[in-house]
Amino acid sequence: MKRRLPLLIVLITGVFGAVAFFVPHAAVRDVDVTMRNDVLRIIAAFGLILGVGSILRHHFTKIRRQAEHWQYSWVTIVMLFASAIVGLFGGIDTRNPGILPTRIGTFSFHIQTLYTSVMVPLAATMFSMLAFYMASAAYRAFRARNLEATLLLVAAFVLMLGAVPLGGLLIRPLPEFAEWILTVPNTAAKRGILFGVGLGTIATSLKIILGIERGWLGGGG
Amino acid sequence: MGFWNRLQSIDRRWVYLVIWLVVALPLIFPFRIRPVASPPVEKLFNYIDTMPEDKALVLSVDFTPDTQAELFPMLIALLRHGFAHGHRIGVLSMQVQGLGLAEEALAQVAREFNQRARTREDSVIVGEDYVFWGWTTPEVTVMLGMGERITNVFPVDYYGAKTQDLPLMKHLKNYDDVGLLVSIAGSSIPLSWINYAQTQFGVRLGCGITAVSAADFYPYLNSGQFTGMLSGMKGAAEYEELLDSRLRERGPEWTLRRKGTEAMSSQTTAHLAIIAFIILGNVAFFVSRARRKP
Repeated sequence: MKRRLPLLIVLITGVFGAVAFFVPHAAVRDVDVTMRNDVLRIIAAFGLILGVGSILRHHFTKIRRQAEHWQYSWVTIVMLFASAIVGLFGGIDTRNPGILPTRIGTFSFHIQTLYTSVMVPLAATMFSMLAFYMASAAYRAFRARNLEATLLLVAAFVLMLGAVPLGGLLIRPLPEFAEWILTVPNTAAKRGILFGVGLGTIATSLKIILGIERGWLGGGG
Repeated sequence: MGFWNRLQSIDRRWVYLVIWLVVALPLIFPFRIRPVASPPVEKLFNYIDTMPEDKALVLSVDFTPDTQAELFPMLIALLRHGFAHGHRIGVLSMQVQGLGLAEEALAQVAREFNQRARTREDSVIVGEDYVFWGWTTPEVTVMLGMGERITNVFPVDYYGAKTQDLPLMKHLKNYDDVGLLVSIAGSSIPLSWINYAQTQFGVRLGCGITAVSAADFYPYLNSGQFTGMLSGMKGAAEYEELLDSRLRERGPEWTLRRKGTEAMSSQTTAHLAIIAFIILGNVAFFVSRARRKP
């Protein structure tokens, strides 16, 4: 029963989800709307509880065991609660205040302030690191060792120069050539890959719906 | 170890230093490069420009702060264009982290328009000219639900107002009232909009994406599933260039800051530096290989 019930739920909802997409009958549509607007949202809400519970358990375990860098787990936990409390009760910004006082003189810590002052710089910094790694990797590993690598190198040159306005100033037809690479050879290759991915997705979905693939139940298929 | 071998195994921190300099210096001492619009950008611009006024422009802010540098200028340019044309604008986010960016962009553009407004028609007012629905989950509920009734998916807006009481929502019930939906994303969310919203309801779509993911979206642009596409910072700069001439028609005070265009000088030097690194690395590689051969 412990395994059969989840398999049965997946079979019914999986088949219904696919059928509802193609059958415009009012009865099917009504059930589909209820499933999407109510059932899915309730599941998502449970997902949120599970997610928060899981992250708290992970970090409290780390703190209890004093695992490597356990101190940072406190940062995660404190920020999780601080941003949740400010977000829920502190309002959006100075124009849209909440019930929780989130302003001391000219200093405010509304959710928008926390977001623009903490979240945005941190995330932007993390992503901007990529530029350094990419440049270093390009210098050390991007070699024209054979025909395929040379073609890749030439395409990269054209696209990198075509991706800045200077490319068109240096070589007039370069942006058009870069556009052609993306529109013709790239699209042709991508379409082939997409057809393969699409067929693979259908096959995997059918295997899950029909209970052939059971890895998602845990404990291996 | 010879010169060419040493060049190949140069300390990576020198590479980092050069990249930092070529990115930072042009931002401090910018040089102007005028971007020329590529066909995907031009198509998106022209469609919004000629879209019937009673049709709404919906912007889905599906990116997070990590891709802000590339995608935020697109959001600003699209909002400016939509407001300048008098379209009703609906904004939502498929990523909870995108909410703050959407709020920041709306506040900035609304301020720009309201500071320059001489009449009510020139100003933009929340609930009347634009609505910020906020975020809800899961995405399939949002994308399919909006095709039936937007107020069912978003009963309240981001600021807590009941959406069915907003004057704008009387003219924006579902996708039938949407002229174009543009998903600005650093992920594959625009493809979900195709899968759910376009396939089921036929809504017209555009997208703004990071340059690194542009190749993934071209098949959908060629098939016509995307009306137009803004790709990376260059896409934003090209859109800003097209929009600039349109805004200037309103008066000299409409010369607005264009962050996408400003960043073009930095992006150009960074690309040139990376190309130079690749050439240098390859020259060093081939020279050392030739010298190793007897």
